[in-house]
Parts: sequence; C-alpha cells; structure tokens
Amino acid sequence: MYMSRIPFSPITINWTLTFRCNFNCRHCYSRPEKAPELPTGQVKEIMAKVAKYKVPFINYGGGEPLLRSDLFDLTGYATGLGFNVSMNTNGFLMTEEKAALARESGFRTVGISIDSTKAELHDDFRNTKGSHKKAVSAAKFLKEQGVRLTISSVICRVNHMEFEELVRQARDLGAEQISLHNYKCAGMGFTNKDELDLTPEEWKEFYLKAIALREKVTDIRISMDDPITATIHKAPEQAIVKGSTCGKLSLNIRANGDVTPCGFIPVVIGNLLKDDLKDLWDNSNILEKMRNKKPKEKCLTCKHYEDCLGGCTARAYATTGDFNSPDPHCWVAK
Amino acid sequence: MRNIRRNPDIIWREEEEARAEVVRAMERGDDASGEGTVLLVESGMMHQLNLLGGEIWKLLDGIDEERLVDTLAMTFDVDRDILARDIRDFLADLDRRGWLVHE
Ligand code: SF4
Ligand code: SF4
Repeated sequence: MYMSRIPFSPITINWTLTFRCNFNCRHCYSRPEKAPELPTGQVKEIMAKVAKYKVPFINYGGGEPLLRSDLFDLTGYATGLGFNVSMNTNGFLMTEEKAALARESGFRTVGISIDSTKAELHDDFRNTKGSHKKAVSAAKFLKEQGVRLTISSVICRVNHMEFEELVRQARDLGAEQISLHNYKCAGMGFTNKDELDLTPEEWKEFYLKAIALREKVTDIRISMDDPITATIHKAPEQAIVKGSTCGKLSLNIRANGDVTPCGFIPVVIGNLLKDDLKDLWDNSNILEKMRNKKPKEKCLTCKHYEDCLGGCTARAYATTGDFNSPDPHCWVAK
Repeated sequence: MRNIRRNPDIIWREEEEARAEVVRAMERGDDASGEGTVLLVESGMMHQLNLLGGEIWKLLDGIDEERLVDTLAMTFDVDRDILARDIRDFLADLDRRGWLVHE
C-alpha cells in the first residue's frame, strides 16, 4: 500500500546536536560543516515545537552526540514529550556510566558505527587508533544495561567484500539490526569519493548479494535504505513511499536549528527557532521539488523510473547540483 | 472474552489529514479502502492501516471483541455479521504479526 499523500509531518527527525567530533573519518559528510550550537534551552524549545506535530522518532546523527554534556538531559526531556529517541555514535566515549544514563534517559536504541571486522582497518578508516576496540566495548556496555543496540556500517571500498562478516560481528555483539549504509558523496565523502566509492557495477553486485543475505538471515535485521535497489528487487510490502525518503518521511535539523531535507543535502529550508515545522513541511518549494522529481537524461526512458524515481536525490544533487539527475550509483545503461 | 491491546513495541500515529480525506471520499460514495489512515512502525518497518483497520487499532486499549464490534457498528453502516467477520479476520492478521497482546 503506497500513500497517495505524504504523512502530515515527518516520521523521523534526524538531528545533528553538534558538528563537533572526536574523530575525523574519511567518509564523514559532516566534517566540513560548521554551525554554532544551540544551548540546551533552545534545543528543548525546538523539541517542544516539533512534538506538537506528533513526530514519533528523533535520531541524533553526527558530529558525535556524546560530546554534548547535556545529551541525557535532552533525551530525558524528549522522551517525556513522547519521542522515541535513538542516536548514532562512534562509541569511543561510551562508558558503563553513560550506558546506564542512556537507559535511564529512555533511549529506544543506540547505534554504534563499525566499518570493519578488522580492528586495524576500522581504526585506519576512522583515523583513530583503538576506535574498533572502544566501539566493541560500547556495544557491550549498552547490552549490559539492556539498551537495544544497532550497528551501522558505511559500505565503501574498504569493506564491500566483507559485509557478511560485518553482519556476523553485529549479531555476535547482540545487535538487533545492522544498517548497511550506502556511501554518500557529501562532505569528506565527496572529497574522498574516487578512493572510497564503488563503481555502479560494484554497487549492483553488492546489493544483489546483500539482498539475498537479508532474505536468508532471521536472527538480525539487515537494513539497506537505498532507492537505487528498486531496479533489482520489488520494494517490500511496507515501503510506503518510492524513491528517496528524505523530505517525504524525514527531515534533518542542524546544530543551529536550520532545517535541511536530509543531512546530505546542504540546502537550508528554514530554521526552527523562528519557523513552524508544519509550515516548512507543507510549503517549502525545495521539498516540493524533491517530492515531485522530473526524469531527465537516461531516467527519461528507463522502465524503472516509476519505482526508482531517479535513485538517491542527495547523491544526484552532490554530483550535479540537480535533484533530477540520475543517481551516480545507477548501473542501468544509457 | 479476553481483552485485547496493541503491542506496546509498535509505534503508531493517526494520519489525521489522510483520514479526513478518506472520510470525505466515502461520503461521496468513492472507494477509499486502499488508503492508509494509520501509520505503524514495527522493528524499523513501516506499515499502514486503512480506515476500518485504523479505527479498530485505535480502540485496542484493552477491549474485548464483542465490545469492539458494538462500538464500530455505530460508525460503520454495514451488516453487523459482515462487520464482525471483517474485524475477526483483521485481528487474526494482527495476531499473526505479533502486534497484539491478550489479557
Ligand atoms: S563519521 Fe561520525 S565519527 Fe566519523 S568524523 Fe563523522 S561524525 Fe565523527
Ligand atoms: S536510469 Fe534513472 S530511473 Fe532508471 S534506474 Fe537509473 S536512476 Fe533509476
């Protein structure tokens, strides 16, 4: 069942509480980003405004959320407003005490980023020695506290051949889900794309194998949220919108309250200190363009367009400056 | 008869605007049974319920099947036996998915 209209407000807000980070990963979209950080009171003010529109999920993205000293205070406030809160962390700063605070403040899930099963490779990719070991301990601390765990891995040249081991590692750590994120050519991801991104053919090969594994595995969920896969398998029954989900099911808030359609599309549509979420959601012409993409170039004659809608809008925009361009990961011939 | 509740692990929300539109369509006599009015998120997956499903779902706060049929019979202008059967089928489907708790 597809929705003939988009939900009345976002289902998920991805929220960058800070752009600061203790790491400097080679694929990171947010390293070049700078924005002043809102103090606790203003973040809470925005949370209260967003809660009015019954947004069910907030996910803190990176920068590193654990660098905010008010993280658990904010989370307690958000869960009190009815949000289901999760975060993505590199895990380096997670301790037993913080894992206990994660539980007490009401985190629904915590996601740890691990990009390889080989410690040296992960440490090298994330430019921080000891980071794999710390990520593994972070997972253990969270599990001991009974916090639901997910693992995130950004698929790229260093790990695309070992995703089965990544899945195994996540399962051994007790994660209920592993997200195999597609590589985004934004921020450092753009600078390093020639070295790290796969070719379209390699993406196809990866997805064919990963989708086959997902159908086989029952003890951990494998999540791959990439619209370009519409070309190789039928969207699952529960997919309610086609193409990219940003601007249709989710929005992104930056450290200073600016709103962008997604973390990888640096186009500001408003700021929640002064603007109303519902007004932006209903009336932004940037969102309107993303929701009503027009095929161009090879998409014009492609039989998958109805399901694929040109693939990932963020990648198209990052590489060509046009939402409507075909996804650069697309493997369909001209 | 046992009371039925929604599985608390499932996050859900009524889509108020979509529901209002479905109600308007039905008043015009159009078939809108394929339109979602309630969104559910379960284990990272998103699902939708149509108007009847959504109205049943909202009532599952610890209610038995008999009372559920009585309540919905006041809103839906259909034969009570047909309504009762639709509700039973729907509940069986939710049960299979693990979305209900029986008390
Ligand atoms: S990917 Fe995450 S951990 Fe790595 S530098 Fe970026 S924000 Fe920090
Ligand atoms: S040509 Fe366009 S519509 Fe077709 S698969 Fe590629 S990106 Fe999708």
